[in-house]
Amino acid sequence: MRYEEWMRRHTSRRLFLQRAGLITLTVGAGPTLLAACGDDDDDDTAETAAQGPAKAPAASGRVDFLSWEGYDIPDPLKSWKTQNDVTVKATYIGNHDEIQTKLKAGGAGAGYDIITYYQGYKPLYQELDILEPLDDQKLPNLKNLFPYFASKEGNFWVDADGTRTGVPWTWGSIGITIDGRRVKSMPTSWFDLLEPQFKGKVAIPDDPTGAWALAAHISGFDPSETSKDDGEKVFDLLSQVAAQSTGISPSFGDATTKMTAGDADVCWQGWAAMNEFAAAEGVDSFETQVPKEGSFSFCDAYALPSGADNADTALAWMNESLDPKVNADAAVILVGGVTVADAVPQLPKNIASLYEYDKLDELLDRSPFYNNPPLESDEFVTFEEVQKRWQEIKAEAGA
Amino acid sequence: MRIGPLALTAPAAAGLLVFFIAPLVAFGVYSFLTGSLYEVKAPLTLENYKEVFETDANRTLARNSLVVGLLAAAFSVLIALPIAYWLRYAAGRWRGLVLFLIVASFLASYLVRIYAWRSMLGRNGAINRGLESIGLIDEPLDFLLYNRFAVTVALVHIYLPYVVLVLYAGLAPLQPSYLETAQDLGAGRLQRWRRVVLPLVAAPAMSAFLFVFVLSAADYVTPLLLGGTNGVMLGVQVQVAFIGTGDFAYGAAIAFAMLAAFLVLYGLIALALRLMKLDRVRFAA
Repeated sequence: MRYEEWMRRHTSRRLFLQRAGLITLTVGAGPTLLAACGDDDDDDTAETAAQGPAKAPAASGRVDFLSWEGYDIPDPLKSWKTQNDVTVKATYIGNHDEIQTKLKAGGAGAGYDIITYYQGYKPLYQELDILEPLDDQKLPNLKNLFPYFASKEGNFWVDADGTRTGVPWTWGSIGITIDGRRVKSMPTSWFDLLEPQFKGKVAIPDDPTGAWALAAHISGFDPSETSKDDGEKVFDLLSQVAAQSTGISPSFGDATTKMTAGDADVCWQGWAAMNEFAAAEGVDSFETQVPKEGSFSFCDAYALPSGADNADTALAWMNESLDPKVNADAAVILVGGVTVADAVPQLPKNIASLYEYDKLDELLDRSPFYNNPPLESDEFVTFEEVQKRWQEIKAEAGA
Repeated sequence: MRIGPLALTAPAAAGLLVFFIAPLVAFGVYSFLTGSLYEVKAPLTLENYKEVFETDANRTLARNSLVVGLLAAAFSVLIALPIAYWLRYAAGRWRGLVLFLIVASFLASYLVRIYAWRSMLGRNGAINRGLESIGLIDEPLDFLLYNRFAVTVALVHIYLPYVVLVLYAGLAPLQPSYLETAQDLGAGRLQRWRRVVLPLVAAPAMSAFLFVFVLSAADYVTPLLLGGTNGVMLGVQVQVAFIGTGDFAYGAAIAFAMLAAFLVLYGLIALALRLMKLDRVRFAA
């Protein structure tokens, strides 16, 4: 279905959602809601009521999946796939940018039915016309989301006009990861990593936009709206961090291996999952904490790429990912956060303790979700500038 | 019916045309177009090449590529030549086994070999632990890993078997009788090497050198994993342009600039061989 056609068919429902909120919708549109919508929207409300309660579409056939390994959550979805006779053909990426590269190089849809995107990539994916609008009526489990993830905050998953483009299902916050065998006390500030004691001991994942977001945040800037002048301060900080490292790791797994082997002691842009990666290598001394300056958080959402040929099954998959048990099981596998409130009690202690769910708003204030830098701007540092300067910083660090 | 040589080569030529020449031409065209977020469009421009040569990072990374490529190629050939010589003339009954082991080494994954070097060269790696255990060092040596040295060592290890096989094949037609004749005519061991073996293996050795140089200088995985901050090479910029920034035109321009540099090096080596009159030396029928 083309976007324009979808817009025509769903605009009234989106306006309705905009005023009433998702949770209210899922418990049924009652008189209070009708009043809230006002006279002008009577027709909209009537249409929504006629649509009935949200219901996941029937799932069947093959789903072509494109994202990180593990994001297809094979075990949590196993029974759902068996019940619905769904098979998955997964293509795994090594870098988030491979998603748009494959989709753009392969033409519309490029044969994929479901992808994921990190919230910061939303503007880029919209610019590239990659994301197909999602029908909330086919996603009844949206009602399970924490209020933050159900909101239009940041327009990461729902546009200002109510158009949904993604289903947030996993998230996490960046922190400092240390190997307790060699670092006896957790650094309390990101700037501690610039101290001489950490010279040549800092692991850094090769993630330009993540590194930028973190450096901008702790420098007091919004990474998506950092002026060119302020950007120089941020790049300077990144140069100092890179100079503390013996090399940039191509992945978090590689950064972990580097630390377990004793070739690095701390990780800039660390991640709680690294504790588990290390434990899997027999090292249980890793610890990750968010320092006093806070950090940034990341949330990945399932999305429908334009041209998907098994959209209903993809939507049913997204809906299933918000089932509390599935969401909790996925968090265990990915060592991540849950987006579904009822999933929290189902988490084992080590995963539940990663993030303070009872203080989620406070946590996200300290470590917000950000957009990537703009694609084009005369005022702010752009996405392309970040990518290119990061390569320069890496090259200069070894020059 | 007799199948002519043209018909026999047609499938291979068609494959080459579709899967090599056509993409190469397409990227050649890309490099002169204007890049725009995972697209290329008019107008034609030289800006991409200008940016390639004016960017400081590119110069630094190109220098790294050149140094690592030359070192890896030179050491590969220098180490492989005596091995190939030994295999051809002195290995005797060990020849089959050693050749088998060389070929079998191709079965080891490229990444596994890189990570093996990490566990050898790291602070807690086998070399540091070994040196510590025999009391030669008190503190681990940090210069073994995450630099050009580590990248060069790994690349030599990866490409050495290819070079040994190329040189062994190059020496195959050189009959032991040639060396015996030279010896009978009074040539010493060194002179036999210099005046008989070297002229005959110069061309295959240079082919092997170029082979390793091109693959090493354009590599980006080994530098990423072993190179640290001073071992990153120019190939990374191509990857970033195509995948990171979606600037296909700029990525194509870097790739073509690298291709041009390789062709220049090929020309220089061919010229050197010609000046030394080593390019026309052939084995007697």
